[in-house]
Amino acid sequence: MKFLLKQKEFSVLAIVVIISIILSFVSPVFLTVENWLDIIEGNAVIGILAIGMTLIIITSDIDVSVAALTTAVTVSIGYLFQFLPDSWISVVLIFLIAPLIGILLGSFNGLLVSKIKIPAIVVTLGTLNIFSGLVLYITNGNYINSTNFPDSFMAFSNIEIAGIPILIYLFALVAAGTWFILKYTLIGRSVLAIGGNAQSSVRVGINFEKVKMFVFSYMGFLAGIAAIAQTSYTSAIDPNGLAGLELTVIAAVVLGGANIHGGRGSIPGTLLGVLLLAIMQNGMILARIDTFWQNVVTGAIIVIAVSYDEINHRRNQEKLSNIDVKEAS
Amino acid sequence: MNMKLSKESVLGLIALGIFVGMGLFTPGFFSSSNLNNMMFQLPEFGLIALGMMVVIVTGGIDLSITYIAAFSGVGAALMMTNGFGILPAIVVGILFALACGAFNGTVVSKIGVPPILVTLGTMVLFEGVILAITSGNAISGFPDAYGLIGNGYYMGIIPVSLLIFIFFIILTAVLLNKSTWGRRVYMYGSNDIATMFSGVKNSKVLMKVYLYASLLAAVSAIIMTSRYNSVKVDLGSSYLLQSVAAAVLGGTDIHGGYGKVMGTIYAVLIFQFIRNGLNLMDVHSSLVDVVIGAILIIVLTLNFFSDKFSRRKAESSSEKTA
Repeated sequence: MKFLLKQKEFSVLAIVVIISIILSFVSPVFLTVENWLDIIEGNAVIGILAIGMTLIIITSDIDVSVAALTTAVTVSIGYLFQFLPDSWISVVLIFLIAPLIGILLGSFNGLLVSKIKIPAIVVTLGTLNIFSGLVLYITNGNYINSTNFPDSFMAFSNIEIAGIPILIYLFALVAAGTWFILKYTLIGRSVLAIGGNAQSSVRVGINFEKVKMFVFSYMGFLAGIAAIAQTSYTSAIDPNGLAGLELTVIAAVVLGGANIHGGRGSIPGTLLGVLLLAIMQNGMILARIDTFWQNVVTGAIIVIAVSYDEINHRRNQEKLSNIDVKEAS
Repeated sequence: MNMKLSKESVLGLIALGIFVGMGLFTPGFFSSSNLNNMMFQLPEFGLIALGMMVVIVTGGIDLSITYIAAFSGVGAALMMTNGFGILPAIVVGILFALACGAFNGTVVSKIGVPPILVTLGTMVLFEGVILAITSGNAISGFPDAYGLIGNGYYMGIIPVSLLIFIFFIILTAVLLNKSTWGRRVYMYGSNDIATMFSGVKNSKVLMKVYLYASLLAAVSAIIMTSRYNSVKVDLGSSYLLQSVAAAVLGGTDIHGGYGKVMGTIYAVLIFQFIRNGLNLMDVHSSLVDVVIGAILIIVLTLNFFSDKFSRRKAESSSEKTA
């Protein structure tokens, strides 16, 4: 039990539970299955991106280009739809091509970070400008709606298995897959090792550049999947629809307990972070709080959560140094 | 070549080159109305970029800076629309900004939360507060005299806003290079632990950094609101990432410890010349963003290769002497 309490994820879970209890009193709708399915489906895109961002933040980097990258892939999907026949093969092709475009764009970030050694925040700031500028130039900011989509894709996005929308399965698959990679594969362990201590991990033979390349390409891969999810969820392609989403994604990851200095972070934690932001937003709508106040609450929660985390972290460090002193004397 | 040019001087030459090049290839770039336009557009972005640079020198970043500006603009606007004079309005605007800066500074310096996280949170927070106050509407209708700050001329030629900007450039340069606080800002940026052990109170230094950045944001907000004669929640929000880009292009080390006022100013000029020149050439405004992003990456890539080249040269010459 003590071990459980010490886990970072546990405190996030506790907050989620407390807020849920309050909200279920505020609104009877909150604790219904439909509402929860809506919440999860509506946040699948943020969730998928946050999972990719977790890996990047674990290696103590950051990617502010994710929203622009995802939009670039959604626009490419929209363009592809013009050429694809109306059959299930199109859906399969989209699932092959979209992640591929994402990997291509993501590895461009990765290349600049790992080989040219430009700080990630600067690289992704540059590519954010480049991707979103190109997208707006090519599309002229125009919105494409579902009338131009193949029917097979629309059919795919409406699939429900056991009453649960297909997007939730996609989200769960991404989460489980990434959790497995992080926990049981060599590359996943290398990601954590580099975040923990880059120098010593290089000394034990981990290829630093390869790992950096991997996390940014993987982010691109997930952005490709998120692009499909976004297209099927909104049934439209909006070149401005995701603007500014990168900060929400980063906030979710950080709320989930990942440390911006690297080394700490987990998939379950990130999922809880996404859920926390999501139920707050949903709850405030259900509680009929003026939308203008929602940002105030969200911002305050981010500031309080990161401050609490830092205070806790520092207390633990002090305990550690106390033990060191005692042992020495 | 014996005379070694500093990184900033090279950037200054590039800015000059772009200025001349744009002038030669775009008709109307050198026209007095266009030069005038640029002089009026420069200060608002330049002040925010300077504020961002000071924060980046400490190894931090201030993502909330444009919302601090908007908040301060809202404060000043509310005073004026409620019948107060211009001076009290400006004072309240600056106080609003300083309050935001003090909040950022407290969380960063006393609690020790990484600046990127604090300002990410306060960015959403300040945006929310502004939205709650204004309900998302624009506030407009200021006294005519207020408009002179952003639109007026001194002695008939030099824009007042440009003079304010030049004053703050000099002030920032003097503070960073000559004052104790300024030297400590660089010390903290290059090694915060060593700075602490040399008897510097880090939290005080950091607090002043965030206060100073918010002061510059407030001045920028006053110029912007005066120029547009209105204020809205997104006042200057497009300058956020651009100001980081300008500071970095200006040679400021994103990890802290290095950054020159003139470098940032040259970078701001480069952005301004390119944006203005491409606009005159009828290039789509989205492509201007692409160009700016590309320049940022290309310059840093060239930097990497020139560093590598000079290091290799140094190595081979040391081998020869050995």
